[in-house]
Amino acid sequence: MDILEYAWLIPVLPLLAFVIVGFLGSKMKDKGGIVSILGVGAGMVIALWSAYELLTTGRIYRDSFEWVILSSDYSLEMGIFLDSVAAMMLIVVSFISFLVVIYSTAYMHDEGPRRHRYFTEICLFVGVMLGLVLANNFFQMFVFWELVGLCSYLLIGFWFERPSAARAAKKAFLVTRVGDVMFMIGLFILFTELHTLNYESVWAALDTADPAMMAFAAFFLFGGAIGKSAQFPLHDWLPDAMEGPTTVSALIHAATMVNAGVYLVARAFPIIATSAEVSLFVGAIGGITAFLAATMALCAPKIKGVLAYSTVSQLGYMILGLGAGAFLWNKGYHVEASIAFGAGLFHLMNHAFFKGQLFLGAGSVIHYVDTEELSRMGGLGKYMKVTSITMLISCLSIAGIPPLSGFWSKDEVLSVTFDAGDAGLTFMVLWVLGVLTAFMTAFYMFRMWFMVFKGQPREGSKQAIEHGHHHEAPIAMLAPLVILAALAFGSGFSLFIGDGFFGAIYYEHAHVLSIGERLEEVFTSPLTYVSIVAAVGGIMLAYYSFYKPKISAEKVVAKGFPKAMHQLLLDRYKFPVAYDKIGYAGLYGFSLLLDKFDRYIIDGIVNGISAFLIRAGGTVRKLQNGFVQSYATLLLFGVSVVLILLYVVGALR
Amino acid sequence: MDYSAIYPELILALFAIAVPAVNILVKDSRFLAGFSLAGVGLSMLAVVMHFVEGTGRVVFDTGLLVLDDFSGLFMLVFLTVAFLVILASIRYIEDERHKAEYYSLILLATVGMMLVAASTDLFVLYIGIEITSLSSYALVAFRKKDIKGAEAATKYFIFGGISSAFTLFGISLVYGLTGTTSFQEVGVLVGTLDGYREMLWLALVMVMVGFGFKVAMVPFHSWAPDVYEGAPTTITAMLAAGSKKMGFVAMFKFFLIGMLAIKADWDVVVAILSIVTMTLGNLAALNQTSIKRMLAYSSIAQAGYILMALPVGTEYAVTGGIFHILTHAFMKGGAFIAVATLATVAIGDRISDYKGLAKRSNFMAFSITILLFSLAGIPPLAGFASKVVLFSSPIMGTVAGSEWMVWLAVAGIINSAISLYYYARVVKYMYVDELDEGAPSERLKLPKGMAAAVAICVLAVIGIGVFPEYFIQLCQNAAQALFA
Repeated sequence: MDILEYAWLIPVLPLLAFVIVGFLGSKMKDKGGIVSILGVGAGMVIALWSAYELLTTGRIYRDSFEWVILSSDYSLEMGIFLDSVAAMMLIVVSFISFLVVIYSTAYMHDEGPRRHRYFTEICLFVGVMLGLVLANNFFQMFVFWELVGLCSYLLIGFWFERPSAARAAKKAFLVTRVGDVMFMIGLFILFTELHTLNYESVWAALDTADPAMMAFAAFFLFGGAIGKSAQFPLHDWLPDAMEGPTTVSALIHAATMVNAGVYLVARAFPIIATSAEVSLFVGAIGGITAFLAATMALCAPKIKGVLAYSTVSQLGYMILGLGAGAFLWNKGYHVEASIAFGAGLFHLMNHAFFKGQLFLGAGSVIHYVDTEELSRMGGLGKYMKVTSITMLISCLSIAGIPPLSGFWSKDEVLSVTFDAGDAGLTFMVLWVLGVLTAFMTAFYMFRMWFMVFKGQPREGSKQAIEHGHHHEAPIAMLAPLVILAALAFGSGFSLFIGDGFFGAIYYEHAHVLSIGERLEEVFTSPLTYVSIVAAVGGIMLAYYSFYKPKISAEKVVAKGFPKAMHQLLLDRYKFPVAYDKIGYAGLYGFSLLLDKFDRYIIDGIVNGISAFLIRAGGTVRKLQNGFVQSYATLLLFGVSVVLILLYVVGALR
Repeated sequence: MDYSAIYPELILALFAIAVPAVNILVKDSRFLAGFSLAGVGLSMLAVVMHFVEGTGRVVFDTGLLVLDDFSGLFMLVFLTVAFLVILASIRYIEDERHKAEYYSLILLATVGMMLVAASTDLFVLYIGIEITSLSSYALVAFRKKDIKGAEAATKYFIFGGISSAFTLFGISLVYGLTGTTSFQEVGVLVGTLDGYREMLWLALVMVMVGFGFKVAMVPFHSWAPDVYEGAPTTITAMLAAGSKKMGFVAMFKFFLIGMLAIKADWDVVVAILSIVTMTLGNLAALNQTSIKRMLAYSSIAQAGYILMALPVGTEYAVTGGIFHILTHAFMKGGAFIAVATLATVAIGDRISDYKGLAKRSNFMAFSITILLFSLAGIPPLAGFASKVVLFSSPIMGTVAGSEWMVWLAVAGIINSAISLYYYARVVKYMYVDELDEGAPSERLKLPKGMAAAVAICVLAVIGIGVFPEYFIQLCQNAAQALFA
């Protein structure tokens, strides 16, 4: 039996669970939890099996049918395209989804009947996210792209009675929509230029396409990724999105949906690589995002806030890797480019595991102390052994301490950025930003870990401990934590399995090295030690600031420039304000203006003219006559406008 | 004389006359509606027979009326709308007097629309428009004791009367310039009228007023929100899904047959009006609190999209225009009928009245969601399919010198993005928000006829969205027939 023939079941099974839970969930005792686990789990089994088949045989599976035929030249397909990149995404998405659904059955237990809505939406999300991965063309990807956005909107606003959650949902929806419109424009350009949107046909047609138009297409497609993957300057919705349940943050806003943007960049990689300028732009956006988000994470007051900024920052790393790859390819360094391509995706996979773990761990902490403020926690390590140790592993991993997974991929991203620096100096600057980011990452992660688990219990922890919550979370929550921590530790070793990660996931050129060669390559490079030093330095600084306080963080930011900087970071560089100004004042103001214009100016002119006519005619019955005349005037006004337009345009031509 | 070309109109007109007569014998609303539905069904059958027999173009008498793929398709659209409106009206007007007149007028209005679709001549077209207009004035005023309805009817009547005067004046100018009122002959002659260009423009604008009024094109739109809000909601559905589409048929004929030779003179202006119409409609819809007014502005916006087909003017664009007209008839007609249905069970027409609707009727909440999402153009629903064809037409239709048309597509896409906001808001009210404290919360008992009408629209919207090819083919045949 060829499992790939059944690949279409991967999204269909969770969607089936969605339908069942949606219609019958409210009558079930657990509001659909078990059905969700079964549906998502069954999808996962097929997904993992398919991924195994794809990765071990190296084959590519295609299946499609024509969906809409617009004319003989233009048609849209629905289909499946599975290669090693899709296989990796399948593993990440299906596996983490499965763990999160299990975790949710315990975490959302107190929500009562509302779990019904939660499980319905989660199943829908898992289904459409897997559908996005399976797509064989950009258009189908876009359709699912919109659907995951919808699920994200619904789930961020799960506690819609909180105004902040409702606002965050709206913000996420509107801000990502800016990216979506750009994505759509990109699709239009591709479609008109190449008459197809299928990945493979597009890639094949690039050689003969108009380079200027392809650059535009790449730019606009990347615009979609900026929105979805929360890149600068559309990053600000993601921290707000933390208003949703923590499981949603773990699943959608750390491990799966936000990666869709990176996945899009991977699929559009050949298009982006046609233009050095766009490649550079992609890399620069990634580097800047990584750096800016890391600075904001330094003093974030809430545990989920730290993780949110960290996610934005790490997504920036992935984009930076892919951008560097596209740039290298454009400059003719094909082997380095294909490593860079793999590096970005390698980091995507590792990040999904350790960040998913960190979010679920944060959920366990919040579950225990019932607050998200870091300043109210402390000293929890004793009471939450499993949570604290598993989170420590993930923190070490994201900080980049060898041999944990985060080390391998971050090192690879930084080293390809350095390589790209040979071809374009900007990447040198981005490499420096990347190293600084690595330092800050280690610092803020350990700031968080020390503030939560070490030191004296502060008021929130104290209450929780005194209330006799002397127990860890239930097993349904702990098991996913442990499994993900194991992956956060070890997913980097995929470098050494079989042909290694870069032997399976690459662009055009496989990069197969034996274990010894790989280790030699990594540990003989001075760059590796730069990033290790940055990581250890960050951890040390956090240690002396928050564990054995030799440095007082409060004093540092008490006055002068550091204080101003601290405030600016807390204000998130004023981005939310700017969004409001631009979005609210701009668009909404414009619509208000038009409303006013229609009501006062147009109606005013009309009423004014008719009032004049009435007075001129000396008519008494103002209402009745004014009524008729104002309509007549309105029509005359319209006719004149159109007529004047005709003459003006006629004269201009 | 080959009467088979006008069988559909004849049948419907006979039934329209017969309804009041039948009313003398039977007073029951359901019977009258059934009788009218039979008329609509028979008329539909006559059109379908034409398609099945594949007789192509059938001409009546001296060629003033034809039955071909274009007019046939539109007749089906108008008849379907009439069918749905009558089906939804059974309960909606149950307690009114003059039920027979109501049904009779709906049938007559539909006859007028069908005449417009079949016409090959400006005068016949004008007569068709007038038949529809006069019938619909009376229908809007049907609840004459209702102050809002009466005001709406007066506005509609005055605005409509003036604009049809303009149209008639424009037609007389066209006749004065060319000596003919046949679209085909006008089309041949306008190209030779170089010395009278400005006079021709005046005629063009005059005629445009009447049609623009019918389709609620900016700046002739201001009646629409008031009238849509004040009229009985079933009649609003007919205005939005039927009589408005008649305006587009008239525009297609006048601009793309009659005035094609001087297209370069008017295409930019109509394109500007198209963009202004869609933008103003969408932005104004953002701030509405009444669902009927919101749908009215959304209707204006959709008119802007369809108008796009005129300046592009290719067969593909007209296919897109026709396709969007077809899908819009179901989406908007369905949405208004849904509002009417809810009105019969005491749910008001403020958007906030829809809070927690999903808890009281899953069927209605789901249906409205599908219809609104289709209007917003979310795949795989009908509105998405037709927007794809329509919005891609300016891009594919560009020839040297008309690259600016791409902006039509850009404007359309941006507008669709904006529109999702106000559609999604209604869905949020229905699904996410809880019922107000103390508000009735028992499940709704919906009138069957109305629910059936809504269900038909929802099924059509999904069906067309999933299998668009067959319908695109139909629309393409119609577009070919128009240009033949």
